[in-house]
Amino acid sequence: MDSLLQPTHEAFHLLLTGDRDLWTIIGISFRVSLKAILCATPFALLLAFLLAYVSFPGRRLVVSIFETLMALPAVVVGLLIYLLLSRSGPLGDLRLLFTQSAMVIGQIVLCFPILVAMGYAAIRAADRRAWETALTLGAGRPRAMLTLIHEVRFGLLVAVIAGFGRIVSEIGTSMMVGGNIAGHTRNIPTAIALETSKGHFAEGIALGIVLVTLAFGLNLALNLLQRREVQAT
Amino acid sequence: MNNDGQLCFSQLEKHYRERHVLSIGRLTLVPGRIVHLTGRNGAGKTTLLKILAGLEPPDCCDVSLDHHSQPWQAVRQRLRRDMVYLHQHPYMFDDTVTDNLGYGLRVTGVHRARRRRAVAVMLERIGLEHAARRNARTLSGGEQQHLALARAWLLQPRVLLLDEPTANMDSEFRRQTWTLLQEMLNDELAIMVSSHELSKAECPNCLNLHLQDGRLNAGPPSLHLVGQGRPTAQDYLGVKP
Repeated sequence: MDSLLQPTHEAFHLLLTGDRDLWTIIGISFRVSLKAILCATPFALLLAFLLAYVSFPGRRLVVSIFETLMALPAVVVGLLIYLLLSRSGPLGDLRLLFTQSAMVIGQIVLCFPILVAMGYAAIRAADRRAWETALTLGAGRPRAMLTLIHEVRFGLLVAVIAGFGRIVSEIGTSMMVGGNIAGHTRNIPTAIALETSKGHFAEGIALGIVLVTLAFGLNLALNLLQRREVQAT
Repeated sequence: MNNDGQLCFSQLEKHYRERHVLSIGRLTLVPGRIVHLTGRNGAGKTTLLKILAGLEPPDCCDVSLDHHSQPWQAVRQRLRRDMVYLHQHPYMFDDTVTDNLGYGLRVTGVHRARRRRAVAVMLERIGLEHAARRNARTLSGGEQQHLALARAWLLQPRVLLLDEPTANMDSEFRRQTWTLLQEMLNDELAIMVSSHELSKAECPNCLNLHLQDGRLNAGPPSLHLVGQGRPTAQDYLGVKP
Protein backbone atom coordinates (compact mmCIF):
# COMPACT_ATOMS: atom_id res chain seq x y z
CA MET A 1 0.00 0.00 0.00
CA ASP A 2 2.92 2.29 0.76
CA SER A 3 3.99 2.01 -2.87
CA LEU A 4 0.79 3.87 -3.76
CA LEU A 5 0.37 6.17 -0.74
CA GLN A 6 3.91 7.53 -0.69
CA PRO A 7 4.01 8.66 -4.36
CA THR A 8 0.45 10.01 -4.08
CA HIS A 9 1.49 12.09 -1.09
CA GLU A 10 4.49 13.34 -3.07
CA ALA A 11 2.25 14.01 -6.06
CA PHE A 12 0.01 16.35 -4.06
CA HIS A 13 3.12 18.00 -2.64
CA LEU A 14 4.44 18.61 -6.17
CA LEU A 15 1.10 20.06 -7.30
CA LEU A 16 0.55 22.26 -4.27
CA THR A 17 4.11 23.61 -4.09
CA GLY A 18 3.90 24.66 -7.75
CA ASP A 19 6.68 22.43 -9.09
CA ARG A 20 7.94 24.34 -12.11
CA ASP A 21 8.58 21.36 -14.40
CA LEU A 22 5.19 19.87 -13.60
CA TRP A 23 3.27 23.07 -14.27
CA THR A 24 5.25 23.65 -17.49
CA ILE A 25 4.02 20.27 -18.73
CA ILE A 26 0.45 21.11 -17.71
CA GLY A 27 0.75 24.51 -19.43
CA ILE A 28 1.98 22.94 -22.68
CA SER A 29 -0.82 20.40 -22.62
CA PHE A 30 -3.54 23.01 -22.24
CA ARG A 31 -1.94 25.47 -24.66
CA VAL A 32 -1.67 22.89 -27.45
CA SER A 33 -5.13 21.40 -26.94
CA LEU A 34 -6.85 24.79 -26.61
CA LYS A 35 -5.21 26.01 -29.82
CA ALA A 36 -6.31 22.84 -31.61
CA ILE A 37 -9.93 23.05 -30.44
CA LEU A 38 -10.13 26.79 -31.18
CA CYS A 39 -8.76 26.30 -34.71
CA ALA A 40 -10.98 23.31 -35.48
CA THR A 41 -14.31 24.45 -33.97
CA PRO A 42 -15.41 27.22 -36.41
CA PHE A 43 -14.67 25.17 -39.52
CA ALA A 44 -16.10 21.97 -38.07
CA LEU A 45 -19.34 23.66 -36.99
CA LEU A 46 -19.69 25.38 -40.36
CA LEU A 47 -19.26 22.01 -42.07
CA ALA A 48 -21.74 20.44 -39.63
CA PHE A 49 -24.26 23.14 -40.47
CA LEU A 50 -23.79 22.67 -44.23
CA LEU A 51 -24.20 18.91 -43.87
CA ALA A 52 -27.38 19.45 -41.87
CA TYR A 53 -28.97 22.08 -44.10
CA VAL A 54 -27.62 21.65 -47.65
CA SER A 55 -28.82 18.66 -49.63
CA PHE A 56 -26.40 17.01 -52.06
CA PRO A 57 -25.89 13.47 -53.30
CA GLY A 58 -23.75 11.44 -50.89
CA ARG A 59 -24.44 13.66 -47.89
CA ARG A 60 -25.30 10.67 -45.71
CA LEU A 61 -22.06 8.98 -46.80
CA VAL A 62 -20.01 12.03 -45.77
CA VAL A 63 -21.70 12.04 -42.36
CA SER A 64 -21.00 8.31 -41.98
CA ILE A 65 -17.33 8.89 -42.80
CA PHE A 66 -17.03 11.55 -40.09
CA GLU A 67 -18.85 9.30 -37.61
CA THR A 68 -16.36 6.53 -38.41
CA LEU A 69 -13.39 8.91 -38.06
CA MET A 70 -14.49 9.72 -34.50
CA ALA A 71 -12.92 6.41 -33.50
CA LEU A 72 -9.73 7.01 -35.49
CA PRO A 73 -6.77 5.71 -33.41
CA ALA A 74 -4.55 8.59 -32.28
CA VAL A 75 -1.44 6.62 -33.14
CA VAL A 76 -2.59 6.23 -36.76
CA VAL A 77 -3.16 9.98 -37.00
CA GLY A 78 0.31 10.44 -35.50
CA LEU A 79 1.81 8.14 -38.11
CA LEU A 80 0.10 9.97 -41.00
CA ILE A 81 1.11 13.42 -39.74
CA TYR A 82 4.65 12.11 -39.11
CA LEU A 83 4.92 10.86 -42.69
CA LEU A 84 3.60 14.18 -44.03
CA LEU A 85 5.90 16.34 -41.89
CA SER A 86 9.07 14.22 -41.93
CA ARG A 87 11.97 15.56 -43.99
CA SER A 88 11.24 13.25 -46.90
CA GLY A 89 7.50 13.90 -46.65
CA PRO A 90 5.50 16.30 -48.85
CA LEU A 91 5.39 18.95 -46.07
CA GLY A 92 8.92 18.33 -44.80
CA ASP A 93 10.14 21.75 -45.91
CA LEU A 94 7.91 23.36 -43.30
CA ARG A 95 10.15 21.82 -40.58
CA LEU A 96 7.23 21.35 -38.21
CA LEU A 97 8.02 17.87 -36.95
CA PHE A 98 8.68 17.74 -33.18
CA THR A 99 7.13 21.15 -32.59
CA GLN A 100 3.99 22.23 -30.77
CA SER A 101 2.56 23.23 -34.16
CA ALA A 102 2.79 19.61 -35.31
CA MET A 103 1.00 18.53 -32.12
CA VAL A 104 -1.72 21.13 -32.77
CA ILE A 105 -2.16 19.83 -36.32
CA GLY A 106 -2.43 16.26 -35.08
CA GLN A 107 -4.97 17.19 -32.43
CA ILE A 108 -7.02 19.18 -34.95
CA VAL A 109 -7.23 16.04 -37.11
CA LEU A 110 -8.32 14.06 -34.06
CA CYS A 111 -11.03 16.41 -32.79
CA PHE A 112 -12.39 17.56 -36.18
CA PRO A 113 -14.54 14.45 -36.85
CA ILE A 114 -15.95 14.58 -33.31
CA LEU A 115 -16.91 18.23 -33.72
CA VAL A 116 -18.47 17.62 -37.15
CA ALA A 117 -20.39 14.46 -36.25
CA MET A 118 -21.66 15.67 -32.87
CA GLY A 119 -22.29 19.18 -34.20
CA TYR A 120 -24.24 17.70 -37.13
CA ALA A 121 -26.35 15.63 -34.73
CA ALA A 122 -27.08 18.68 -32.56
CA ILE A 123 -28.01 20.89 -35.53
CA ARG A 124 -30.15 18.17 -37.14
CA ALA A 125 -32.00 17.78 -33.86
CA ALA A 126 -32.83 21.48 -33.84
CA ASP A 127 -36.42 22.44 -34.46
CA ARG A 128 -36.80 23.26 -38.18
CA ARG A 129 -39.12 26.10 -37.18
CA ALA A 130 -36.15 27.96 -35.66
CA TRP A 131 -34.52 28.26 -39.10
CA GLU A 132 -37.78 29.22 -40.84
CA THR A 133 -38.74 31.71 -38.13
CA ALA A 134 -35.36 33.44 -38.37
CA LEU A 135 -35.68 33.67 -42.18
CA THR A 136 -39.26 34.90 -42.18
CA LEU A 137 -38.41 37.56 -39.59
CA GLY A 138 -35.87 39.04 -41.97
CA ALA A 139 -32.60 37.29 -41.12
CA GLY A 140 -30.28 36.48 -44.02
CA ARG A 141 -28.89 32.95 -44.22
CA PRO A 142 -25.67 33.75 -42.29
CA ARG A 143 -27.64 35.46 -39.53
CA ALA A 144 -30.20 32.65 -39.45
CA MET A 145 -27.32 30.19 -39.12
CA LEU A 146 -25.98 32.11 -36.11
CA THR A 147 -29.47 32.10 -34.60
CA LEU A 148 -29.71 28.35 -35.09
CA ILE A 149 -26.27 27.86 -33.52
CA HIS A 150 -27.46 29.93 -30.54
CA GLU A 151 -30.55 27.74 -30.25
CA VAL A 152 -28.49 24.52 -30.13
CA ARG A 153 -25.56 26.04 -28.23
CA PHE A 154 -25.68 23.50 -25.44
CA GLY A 155 -25.51 20.58 -27.87
CA LEU A 156 -22.61 22.24 -29.69
CA LEU A 157 -20.81 22.93 -26.40
CA VAL A 158 -21.17 19.25 -25.59
CA ALA A 159 -19.42 18.50 -28.91
CA VAL A 160 -16.62 20.97 -28.12
CA ILE A 161 -16.12 19.57 -24.61
CA ALA A 162 -16.08 16.01 -25.93
CA GLY A 163 -13.53 17.01 -28.59
CA PHE A 164 -11.35 18.75 -26.02
CA GLY A 165 -11.55 15.77 -23.68
CA ARG A 166 -10.41 13.51 -26.51
CA ILE A 167 -7.32 15.53 -27.49
CA VAL A 168 -6.11 16.65 -24.07
CA SER A 169 -5.70 13.04 -22.98
CA GLU A 170 -4.41 11.46 -26.22
CA ILE A 171 -0.86 10.21 -26.31
CA GLY A 172 -0.27 8.59 -29.71
CA THR A 173 -0.22 11.71 -31.88
CA SER A 174 1.61 13.90 -29.37
CA MET A 175 4.31 11.29 -28.84
CA MET A 176 4.90 10.65 -32.56
CA VAL A 177 4.82 14.19 -33.94
CA GLY A 178 5.84 16.08 -30.78
CA GLY A 179 8.73 13.89 -29.77
CA ASN A 180 8.18 14.39 -26.00
CA ILE A 181 10.87 17.10 -25.74
CA ALA A 182 11.09 18.48 -22.18
CA GLY A 183 9.81 22.04 -21.82
CA HIS A 184 8.81 22.12 -25.46
CA THR A 185 6.54 19.30 -26.59
CA ARG A 186 6.17 17.25 -23.43
CA ASN A 187 2.52 17.29 -22.43
CA ILE A 188 0.60 15.48 -19.66
CA PRO A 189 0.02 12.09 -21.36
CA THR A 190 3.55 11.79 -22.79
CA ALA A 191 5.05 12.90 -19.48
CA ILE A 192 3.04 10.29 -17.53
CA ALA A 193 4.30 7.56 -19.87
CA LEU A 194 7.91 8.76 -19.53
CA GLU A 195 7.91 9.28 -15.73
CA THR A 196 6.28 5.90 -15.15
CA SER A 197 8.88 4.16 -17.33
CA LYS A 198 11.61 5.87 -15.27
CA GLY A 199 9.98 4.83 -11.98
CA HIS A 200 9.08 8.43 -11.01
CA PHE A 201 5.58 7.57 -9.94
CA ALA A 202 4.91 10.78 -7.99
CA GLU A 203 5.20 12.93 -11.12
CA GLY A 204 3.05 10.46 -13.05
CA ILE A 205 0.37 10.42 -10.35
CA ALA A 206 0.40 14.23 -10.04
CA LEU A 207 -0.20 14.60 -13.77
CA GLY A 208 -2.79 11.82 -13.64
CA ILE A 209 -4.62 13.74 -10.91
CA VAL A 210 -4.72 16.79 -13.19
CA LEU A 211 -6.14 14.73 -16.07
CA VAL A 212 -8.70 12.97 -13.89
CA THR A 213 -9.76 16.30 -12.33
CA LEU A 214 -10.09 17.74 -15.82
CA ALA A 215 -12.12 14.74 -17.00
CA PHE A 216 -14.38 15.08 -13.95
CA GLY A 217 -14.79 18.82 -14.58
CA LEU A 218 -15.62 18.24 -18.25
CA ASN A 219 -18.15 15.55 -17.41
CA LEU A 220 -19.73 17.77 -14.80
CA ALA A 221 -19.96 20.57 -17.37
CA LEU A 222 -21.46 18.14 -19.91
CA ASN A 223 -24.10 17.00 -17.46
CA LEU A 224 -25.02 20.54 -16.48
CA LEU A 225 -25.25 21.59 -20.13
CA GLN A 226 -27.35 18.58 -21.09
CA ARG A 227 -29.69 19.28 -18.19
CA ARG A 228 -29.93 22.88 -19.32
CA GLU A 229 -30.65 21.74 -22.88
CA VAL A 230 -33.49 19.50 -21.73
CA GLN A 231 -34.97 22.39 -19.74
CA ALA A 232 -34.69 24.72 -22.73
CA THR A 233 -36.68 22.44 -25.06
CA MET B 1 -58.25 44.85 -58.40
CA ASN B 2 -55.59 47.25 -59.53
CA ASN B 3 -54.73 48.49 -56.07
CA ASP B 4 -51.13 49.41 -55.48
CA GLY B 5 -49.30 47.01 -53.23
CA GLN B 6 -51.16 43.91 -54.34
CA LEU B 7 -49.26 40.68 -54.80
CA CYS B 8 -50.23 38.20 -57.45
CA PHE B 9 -49.00 34.60 -57.68
CA SER B 10 -49.72 32.79 -60.93
CA GLN B 11 -49.12 29.34 -62.45
CA LEU B 12 -48.11 27.99 -59.05
CA GLU B 13 -47.27 24.27 -59.18
CA LYS B 14 -45.87 21.98 -56.48
CA HIS B 15 -45.23 18.23 -56.47
CA TYR B 16 -43.97 15.97 -53.70
CA ARG B 17 -42.44 13.01 -55.52
CA GLU B 18 -45.35 11.73 -57.62
CA ARG B 19 -48.05 13.61 -55.73
CA HIS B 20 -49.50 16.78 -57.16
CA VAL B 21 -49.85 19.04 -54.13
CA LEU B 22 -50.67 22.44 -55.59
CA SER B 23 -51.87 23.69 -58.95
CA ILE B 24 -53.05 27.27 -58.66
CA GLY B 25 -53.75 29.44 -61.69
CA ARG B 26 -53.79 32.74 -59.88
CA LEU B 27 -53.92 34.04 -56.33
CA THR B 28 -53.95 37.74 -55.48
CA LEU B 29 -53.38 39.18 -52.03
CA VAL B 30 -54.90 42.60 -51.53
CA PRO B 31 -53.86 45.00 -48.76
CA GLY B 32 -56.49 45.67 -46.12
CA ARG B 33 -58.14 42.27 -46.52
CA ILE B 34 -58.12 39.00 -44.61
CA VAL B 35 -58.26 35.87 -46.73
CA HIS B 36 -59.35 32.75 -44.91
CA LEU B 37 -57.94 29.54 -46.35
CA THR B 38 -59.66 26.28 -45.53
CA GLY B 39 -58.94 22.71 -46.51
CA ARG B 40 -58.71 19.29 -44.94
CA ASN B 41 -55.53 18.01 -43.28
CA GLY B 42 -52.83 17.42 -45.87
CA ALA B 43 -54.57 19.57 -48.49
CA GLY B 44 -51.43 21.67 -48.87
CA LYS B 45 -52.38 24.77 -46.84
CA THR B 46 -49.05 24.93 -45.00
CA THR B 47 -47.10 24.28 -48.20
CA LEU B 48 -48.97 27.08 -49.96
CA LEU B 49 -48.31 29.53 -47.12
CA LYS B 50 -44.61 28.63 -47.03
CA ILE B 51 -44.29 29.10 -50.79
CA LEU B 52 -45.96 32.51 -50.54
CA ALA B 53 -43.56 33.40 -47.70
CA GLY B 54 -40.49 32.48 -49.75
CA LEU B 55 -39.61 29.63 -47.40
CA GLU B 56 -40.33 26.64 -49.62
CA PRO B 57 -39.67 26.55 -53.36
CA PRO B 58 -42.50 25.72 -55.77
CA ASP B 59 -41.86 23.73 -58.94
CA CYS B 60 -42.87 26.85 -60.84
CA CYS B 61 -44.54 30.13 -60.01
CA ASP B 62 -44.58 33.69 -61.28
CA VAL B 63 -44.93 36.52 -58.81
CA SER B 64 -46.26 39.92 -59.72
CA LEU B 65 -44.97 42.53 -57.30
CA ASP B 66 -46.13 46.07 -57.95
CA HIS B 67 -47.30 45.03 -61.43
CA HIS B 68 -43.90 43.59 -62.39
CA SER B 69 -43.94 39.82 -62.97
CA GLN B 70 -40.88 37.69 -62.16
CA PRO B 71 -40.16 34.02 -61.42
CA TRP B 72 -40.53 33.03 -57.74
CA GLN B 73 -36.78 32.28 -57.42
CA ALA B 74 -35.91 35.81 -58.51
CA VAL B 75 -38.09 37.42 -55.84
CA ARG B 76 -37.53 34.91 -53.04
CA GLN B 77 -35.57 37.39 -50.89
CA ARG B 78 -38.13 40.10 -51.53
CA LEU B 79 -40.93 37.75 -50.45
CA ARG B 80 -39.08 37.02 -47.22
CA ARG B 81 -38.75 40.74 -46.59
CA ASP B 82 -42.35 41.56 -47.37
CA MET B 83 -44.10 38.61 -45.76
CA VAL B 84 -44.04 37.01 -42.36
CA TYR B 85 -45.15 33.43 -41.88
CA LEU B 86 -46.31 32.15 -38.49
CA HIS B 87 -46.27 28.44 -37.72
CA GLN B 88 -49.28 26.76 -36.17
CA HIS B 89 -47.24 26.50 -32.99
CA PRO B 90 -45.02 29.59 -33.22
CA TYR B 91 -41.34 29.05 -32.53
CA MET B 92 -40.01 30.95 -29.56
CA PHE B 93 -36.26 31.51 -29.46
CA ASP B 94 -34.61 30.39 -26.23
CA ASP B 95 -34.52 33.96 -24.99
CA THR B 96 -36.58 36.51 -23.11
CA VAL B 97 -39.95 37.78 -24.26
CA THR B 98 -38.32 41.15 -25.02
CA ASP B 99 -35.56 39.60 -27.13
CA ASN B 100 -38.06 37.45 -29.02
CA LEU B 101 -40.22 40.46 -29.74
CA GLY B 102 -37.28 42.52 -30.98
CA TYR B 103 -35.63 39.73 -33.01
CA GLY B 104 -36.89 40.85 -36.41
CA LEU B 105 -36.00 44.48 -35.76
CA ARG B 106 -32.52 43.45 -34.56
CA VAL B 107 -31.67 41.31 -37.59
CA THR B 108 -33.01 43.93 -39.99
CA GLY B 109 -30.69 46.52 -38.47
CA VAL B 110 -33.12 48.78 -36.62
CA HIS B 111 -31.25 51.06 -34.22
CA ARG B 112 -31.18 49.85 -30.62
CA ALA B 113 -32.94 52.86 -29.08
CA ARG B 114 -35.72 52.74 -31.66
CA ARG B 115 -36.02 49.01 -31.23
CA ARG B 116 -36.36 49.30 -27.46
CA ARG B 117 -39.10 51.89 -27.76
CA ALA B 118 -41.02 49.84 -30.31
CA VAL B 119 -40.72 46.67 -28.21
CA ALA B 120 -41.85 48.45 -25.04
CA VAL B 121 -44.93 49.86 -26.77
CA MET B 122 -45.79 46.48 -28.28
CA LEU B 123 -45.34 44.64 -24.97
CA GLU B 124 -47.86 46.95 -23.39
CA ARG B 125 -50.19 46.58 -26.33
CA ILE B 126 -50.35 42.80 -26.05
CA GLY B 127 -50.40 42.88 -22.25
CA LEU B 128 -47.14 41.06 -21.69
CA GLU B 129 -45.11 43.85 -20.08
CA HIS B 130 -45.17 41.92 -16.78
CA ALA B 131 -43.41 38.99 -18.52
CA ALA B 132 -40.78 41.03 -20.38
CA ARG B 133 -37.76 39.35 -18.74
CA ARG B 134 -39.23 35.84 -18.70
CA ASN B 135 -38.06 33.16 -21.10
CA ALA B 136 -40.63 33.20 -23.92
CA ARG B 137 -40.94 29.42 -23.78
CA THR B 138 -42.48 29.64 -20.33
CA LEU B 139 -45.51 31.52 -21.69
CA SER B 140 -48.79 29.73 -22.32
CA GLY B 141 -49.66 28.63 -25.88
CA GLY B 142 -52.04 31.55 -26.34
CA GLU B 143 -49.53 34.08 -25.01
CA GLN B 144 -46.86 32.67 -27.34
CA GLN B 145 -49.25 33.04 -30.27
CA HIS B 146 -49.90 36.68 -29.37
CA LEU B 147 -46.18 37.29 -28.90
CA ALA B 148 -45.49 35.78 -32.33
CA LEU B 149 -48.18 37.98 -33.90
CA ALA B 150 -46.73 41.06 -32.24
CA ARG B 151 -43.20 40.05 -33.33
CA ALA B 152 -44.44 39.92 -36.91
CA TRP B 153 -46.47 43.11 -36.57
CA LEU B 154 -43.40 45.10 -35.50
CA LEU B 155 -41.83 44.38 -38.89
CA GLN B 156 -44.75 46.00 -40.69
CA PRO B 157 -44.92 43.34 -43.41
CA ARG B 158 -47.03 43.62 -46.55
CA VAL B 159 -48.52 40.20 -45.96
CA LEU B 160 -49.00 38.17 -42.82
CA LEU B 161 -49.43 34.42 -43.35
CA LEU B 162 -50.88 32.58 -40.37
CA ASP B 163 -51.02 28.80 -40.20
CA GLU B 164 -53.94 27.76 -38.01
CA PRO B 165 -53.32 30.53 -35.46
CA THR B 166 -56.23 29.66 -33.21
CA ALA B 167 -55.88 25.87 -33.20
CA ASN B 168 -56.07 24.40 -29.69
CA MET B 169 -56.95 27.78 -28.16
CA ASP B 170 -59.79 28.37 -25.78
CA SER B 171 -62.60 30.66 -26.89
CA GLU B 172 -61.25 33.67 -24.98
CA PHE B 173 -57.81 33.46 -26.63
CA ARG B 174 -59.47 32.89 -30.01
CA ARG B 175 -61.51 36.04 -29.55
CA GLN B 176 -58.43 38.01 -28.44
CA THR B 177 -56.44 36.71 -31.41
CA TRP B 178 -59.07 37.77 -33.90
CA THR B 179 -59.36 41.17 -32.20
CA LEU B 180 -55.59 41.53 -32.51
CA LEU B 181 -55.71 40.56 -36.20
CA GLN B 182 -58.44 43.14 -36.85
CA GLU B 183 -56.32 45.75 -35.07
CA MET B 184 -53.31 44.85 -37.21
CA LEU B 185 -55.22 45.08 -40.45
CA ASN B 186 -54.67 48.34 -42.30
CA ASP B 187 -54.56 49.60 -45.86
CA GLU B 188 -51.02 48.31 -46.37
CA LEU B 189 -51.31 44.83 -44.85
CA ALA B 190 -52.90 41.72 -46.32
CA ILE B 191 -53.53 38.76 -44.04
CA MET B 192 -54.02 35.14 -45.02
CA VAL B 193 -55.20 32.74 -42.34
CA SER B 194 -55.48 29.00 -42.70
CA SER B 195 -57.68 26.96 -40.43
CA HIS B 196 -60.16 24.14 -40.40
CA GLU B 197 -63.11 26.10 -39.27
CA LEU B 198 -64.09 29.72 -38.95
CA SER B 199 -67.19 31.23 -37.54
CA LYS B 200 -68.41 34.31 -39.32
CA ALA B 201 -68.72 36.05 -35.95
CA GLU B 202 -64.96 35.81 -35.47
CA CYS B 203 -64.09 37.33 -38.81
CA PRO B 204 -67.06 39.03 -40.44
CA ASN B 205 -64.96 40.60 -43.21
CA CYS B 206 -62.91 37.51 -44.12
CA LEU B 207 -62.95 36.22 -47.67
CA ASN B 208 -63.04 32.45 -47.81
CA LEU B 209 -60.97 30.29 -50.17
CA HIS B 210 -60.99 26.51 -50.11
CA LEU B 211 -58.03 24.30 -51.06
CA GLN B 212 -58.99 20.92 -52.48
CA ASP B 213 -57.03 18.54 -54.68
CA GLY B 214 -54.33 21.17 -54.97
CA ARG B 215 -56.69 23.78 -56.39
CA LEU B 216 -58.13 26.90 -54.84
CA ASN B 217 -61.87 27.38 -55.03
CA ALA B 218 -64.23 29.97 -53.68
CA GLY B 219 -65.37 28.83 -50.25
CA PRO B 220 -68.91 28.45 -48.97
CA PRO B 221 -71.12 31.37 -50.12
CA SER B 222 -72.07 32.14 -46.53
CA LEU B 223 -68.50 33.27 -45.90
CA HIS B 224 -68.08 35.38 -49.03
CA LEU B 225 -67.75 39.06 -48.74
CA VAL B 226 -69.76 40.62 -51.52
CA GLY B 227 -71.03 44.00 -52.51
CA GLN B 228 -69.90 47.42 -51.31
CA GLY B 229 -67.29 47.48 -54.09
CA ARG B 230 -65.11 44.99 -52.25
CA PRO B 231 -63.32 42.17 -54.06
CA THR B 232 -64.93 38.78 -54.27
CA ALA B 233 -63.34 35.33 -54.23
CA GLN B 234 -63.35 35.34 -58.02
CA ASP B 235 -61.26 38.51 -58.04
CA TYR B 236 -58.66 36.82 -55.84
CA LEU B 237 -58.53 33.73 -57.99
CA GLY B 238 -58.80 35.44 -61.36
CA VAL B 239 -61.79 33.36 -62.48
CA LYS B 240 -65.38 34.14 -63.21
CA PRO B 241 -68.15 32.27 -61.40
